[in-house]
Amino acid sequence: MDYVVETQQVTRAFGDFEAVRGIDLRIRPGETYGLLGPNGAGKTTLIRMLVGLLRPTTGRVVVLGHDMPNKAVLAQIGYMTQAQAIYTDLSVRENVHFFAAMVGQHDARRVEEVIALVDLSDWTDKLVRTLSGGMQRRTSLACALVHRPRLLLMDEPTVGVDPQLRVQFWEYFKQLNAEGVTIVVSSHVMDEAEQCHRLGFLRKGVMLAEGSSDELRAKAGTETLEGAFLAFAGEEHNG
Amino acid sequence: MDMRRVVILARRVFTQILHDRRTMVLFMVMPLLVLTLAALLLRSSPKDLALGVVNEDAGADTPLGHVSLAEMIEKELDASDSFAVIELERDQVEAALKDGRVKGAVIFAANFSQAVSEGGQTKVELRLEGSNPSTASNVRNNLSRLIMQRMASLATMTGQETVGAPVVIEPSFMYGGPEYDSLDYIAPVYIVFFVFFFIFLLTCVFFLRERSQGTMERLMATPINRLEIVLGYMMGLGIFALIQSAVVLLFTVWVLDIDYAGNLLVVFIIEAILTMVAANMGIAASTFATNEFQVVQFIPLVIVPQGLLSGTIWAIEEMPTLLQPLAYVMPMTYANQAMRAVMIKGQGLGSVWFELVVLVGFAALLIALGALMVQREVV
Repeated sequence: MDYVVETQQVTRAFGDFEAVRGIDLRIRPGETYGLLGPNGAGKTTLIRMLVGLLRPTTGRVVVLGHDMPNKAVLAQIGYMTQAQAIYTDLSVRENVHFFAAMVGQHDARRVEEVIALVDLSDWTDKLVRTLSGGMQRRTSLACALVHRPRLLLMDEPTVGVDPQLRVQFWEYFKQLNAEGVTIVVSSHVMDEAEQCHRLGFLRKGVMLAEGSSDELRAKAGTETLEGAFLAFAGEEHNG
Repeated sequence: MDMRRVVILARRVFTQILHDRRTMVLFMVMPLLVLTLAALLLRSSPKDLALGVVNEDAGADTPLGHVSLAEMIEKELDASDSFAVIELERDQVEAALKDGRVKGAVIFAANFSQAVSEGGQTKVELRLEGSNPSTASNVRNNLSRLIMQRMASLATMTGQETVGAPVVIEPSFMYGGPEYDSLDYIAPVYIVFFVFFFIFLLTCVFFLRERSQGTMERLMATPINRLEIVLGYMMGLGIFALIQSAVVLLFTVWVLDIDYAGNLLVVFIIEAILTMVAANMGIAASTFATNEFQVVQFIPLVIVPQGLLSGTIWAIEEMPTLLQPLAYVMPMTYANQAMRAVMIKGQGLGSVWFELVVLVGFAALLIALGALMVQREVV
């Protein structure tokens, strides 16, 4: 298997509206790939198709060698959304344990281990609703990591996260990356994008440009990624 | 299908409720409070209802001498706890009813005693105010009971075999006896109603929350499938519901001292099946709601019609013909019938199997529907 994620001319329409238009993704093992674009660019739709929560209208999505949607593959995927998506009336441990069990991970030690990883060991038995927003976010991440996924799909995981925690999150991501986990992350924050190996600029459902942040800047002839994005977006607009 | 996942999901749902103490206590205690209130209201026999009596009875010559039967009844009415007798003339009746001095007026015609002693039908007129049906039926019931008693004892005295029955109709109860009260009749279906109501609401809100907080999205991104989700929910909430209904049932039977004839285990089985129906109806309904306020709006839509049309209070046969078919597409109807059959008539599983099969059918249908409705594709 050459690619962890591969899409071929993936399009997804909601009625007349095409949220994603003809996207080809090729994401290599151990890579951190960033999907960058403003709100409404189709990032969420694309990621939901990678998870198999949406069927493409046309085109093909292959994840870890399987056509999506595929329930069995999901045991190897960690998925984190913009919403906390954890049970506020359960404790941290109960949440992590639950999502672990859902993907067939029944090792209690791993639950504790991943809670320790996100620095919540002192809060294990606290109900999530009593925790701060940042702690809830870390609980959410722990739930996505507990089963040692080979692929981590994250839809704007750092939205509403304070700068300190955002830095911490990227440290977790790098650590996972070093362990061989492939990461696909969407964001509309450009400074996060610098951390990714490769980026895809997404706008109105179309892939504007792809490459490392240096490549993209060089290609657009701008100093910042933001400038590069605007340059590509303008090009698309005029062309 | 992976049963292990279903059980894990069920356990999670159950744990969530355990952590939400207020919901739990509310759901356990509320039915008891309401039931106690209903018991107090239904059991309080109204004392000394003002009853007008128009006595025109001329009396009759009997083997015991010249007697006025109406006068004897009147004295008895006055002596009873139920009525306070106010003597009226015939032309005062309407006015007395109108200004509320009396709740009803009974009129004994001049030939009352004569007619009774000759046997055959005797007519006793009863004018009721009628704006409150329960007061009206109270007057009617108590009056006819007292008159019947008087007649019966008179019949024994005079050695007659029968005395012509007054037209005043006593509602006949096939089951239960003099001890039997409305609460005994209502309790079984009350349990049904509350189980249904709470589980429906609980499932609706739980499932909605699952969607609105985004956990449904995450859950769908795990290998669990829709059917497993629906079954897990049903099981988790179902266990909670069974504990709730056991509490209500035992409270009804032991604290409120309801008469019941049947096997409580059979009652429990009916409740278990009903729980499945209610939980799955809640899941299916919750997919139509986008916030908790809308869930509340499902109460008049889903719960109230069932409460009205399923024979909870009004017998289905007495409903307008147009509405009757509706009763038979409502799961609660079958639960009511089964519960009454077991608790009041003392019948066993063998007699209610049809109702149970129908309920299981409803549950299966709703499980399928719920599984289809879960996670409608949204952006």
